[in-house]
Amino acid sequence: MGFDPEFALSTVPTILGAIGTTLLVAISSGLGASALGFCFEMVRRGGGTAGLITRFLIDFIRSTPVLAWLYFLYFVLPFYGIRLGAMSVGVIGLSLYFSGYLAEVFKAGIDAIPKGQQEAAKALSLGRLDTIVFVIAPQMLRNIAAPMGNYFVSILKATPYLAVLAVPEMLGRAFDVASETYRYAEPLTVAGILFLALALVISRAVKRLELRLFKDSSH
Amino acid sequence: MQDLPKTAVQIRTLNKWYGAFHVLKNIDLHVQRGSRVVVCGPSGSGKSTLIRCINGLEAYQDGAILLGGTMLGSQAKATALARRQTGMVFQGFNLFPHLTVLSNCTLALRRVLGKSRKEAEDLALHHLRKVKIPEQAHKYPAQLSGGQQQRVAIARAMCLSPRVMLFDEPTSALDPEMIKEVLDVMIGLAQDGMTMLCVTHEMGFAREVADQVVFMDEGRIIEQASPKAFFGGAVHPRARMFLETILH
Repeated sequence: MGFDPEFALSTVPTILGAIGTTLLVAISSGLGASALGFCFEMVRRGGGTAGLITRFLIDFIRSTPVLAWLYFLYFVLPFYGIRLGAMSVGVIGLSLYFSGYLAEVFKAGIDAIPKGQQEAAKALSLGRLDTIVFVIAPQMLRNIAAPMGNYFVSILKATPYLAVLAVPEMLGRAFDVASETYRYAEPLTVAGILFLALALVISRAVKRLELRLFKDSSH
Repeated sequence: MQDLPKTAVQIRTLNKWYGAFHVLKNIDLHVQRGSRVVVCGPSGSGKSTLIRCINGLEAYQDGAILLGGTMLGSQAKATALARRQTGMVFQGFNLFPHLTVLSNCTLALRRVLGKSRKEAEDLALHHLRKVKIPEQAHKYPAQLSGGQQQRVAIARAMCLSPRVMLFDEPTSALDPEMIKEVLDVMIGLAQDGMTMLCVTHEMGFAREVADQVVFMDEGRIIEQASPKAFFGGAVHPRARMFLETILH
């Protein structure tokens, strides 16, 4: 039984039908992980007890499997009265998991900003929040555009983990088709190609963004 | 302007340590309003640290700094207001690279003083004209020469209408031919009556605009004199030695 291109094509609409779910999970998790990671890094940078706890939390998140997080949120929390939908658990789990990594990326991006920038902001009496928003964050973004792009692709590639929660994303849908027809090669290949296409789109978008962020300098 | 105190900056027996290292030792310094003080001395003598203490970039452990009558650190809000009356120019310019020249100048006007975009831009352009650089307003810092960047940095600091301008070796990072354009701007400021405290090795500038030269060595002020007296014959042998090397 060889690879049947015609059958492969016939599975495309079904698998493509799940692209919305995949994208929704990937984008929400990407945004969630970025926001959470940035907050983590800001608190860690602030030092003190909160900083210490956050430092431990980031390390803890990074040292545990993403599946453990998903199982925990889905199967353990209900015992404590917290019942979340599969989609929510997926997005929260991926956001938490990747926030630990993104906090590290933000840290590197901020560390690379010359110290004089914060001093100039302070000399101009800019407040703490204004300094972050108008001086630090924009410069951080251009330092981290490339690694951020990589992590967004990683988040996209992590969405199939949600199959364990029966969230109908692309790979899960492809596997359903495979189980129903006992033909695995075609649907899984189609899903693989679709993931590849999405990853390429993300990479291109990041490249574009990088060019825009660097338009003001000689880089 | 009648109600302004006559002393712009008053430093009383200031002491600062970096760990066990005693960087500033019993510094006493009074800067009258409208006066120009040049601080010089060998590297490591604490002159940059001193100037950075004045606007709160560095903390100190002992003594007091008064800005226009407000003691730094006495009360958070008053300290913030007093600090706002100092403008700082750094050796490395420290312009914001992701913002245009104009936005560099308007950022604090808008976020700190709450001015409208129009108001802020008008004020910024006024100060950019004063440093003779209005035509570069929409460029980014990386597109300017070092001298131009430093002039923008001066305009940026001037936008907040400081009562005291602090300069931390403003020309040390510049190519020789760019030093003059920056010094000319600073001379212009002096002629406008700005109170200036300037760490520099530009002795020509000190001679021309300073009315007080402060010489520091190993964390102490060891000589404080008019430029005429200082260059005519510094008393302290360390200062004489310094002058001999630097004037060649």
